Amino acid sequence: MAKTFQWEDSLEKALARAKAENKPILLDFFNPQ
Amino acid sequence: MGAVTYPDVRVVEFILENLIPLQVKSNAQPIASDFNVKWTPTLVTLDSDGKEHHRTVGFLPPEELVPSLLLGIAKCHFDRERYEEALNVLNKLLESYPKSDAAPEAIFLRGVSLYKSTHNPKPLKEAYEKLQAEYPSSEWTKRAYPYRLIP
Repeated sequence: MAKTFQWEDSLEKALARAKAENKPILLDFFNPQ
Repeated sequence: MGAVTYPDVRVVEFILENLIPLQVKSNAQPIASDFNVKWTPTLVTLDSDGKEHHRTVGFLPPEELVPSLLLGIAKCHFDRERYEEALNVLNKLLESYPKSDAAPEAIFLRGVSLYKSTHNPKPLKEAYEKLQAEYPSSEWTKRAYPYRLIP
């Protein structure tokens, strides 16, 4: 099974993880259509 | 990006190791307005306080996304005056992706980071000389042009 990553969908959750894991955030705005 | 770039194993491994991935619709409010998003894909590198440090607009293939993300991480360090950390990331970018579109800006930022951390202006001139030799038509070569005069 191919390795993958899970996107966060909430800025608040991403910020909490970023602080906890001491990592920056990659924020991707995508076209929903 | 979702069909080509994000499934690439190099991208997956890089993001798992280095970043918190957050994906939102370009019409999601208030975040799209907060970040002034006008086109997709728009990729923004944020620090853990939510402050923006780097942005790209438009498709990037895997071999360009990873160095662009490295540049974003380096800028997070640079903007916080963590020059040693910035230099580590920039050196990794330039060693692993010397032909990437992010490389000229990385050379420029490495010169500035070295100057800021040592107060020795020589790395600025060296950055210009490297840019002139390897990327003569880059905008970053033009931005570094005054550094040629450093003795």
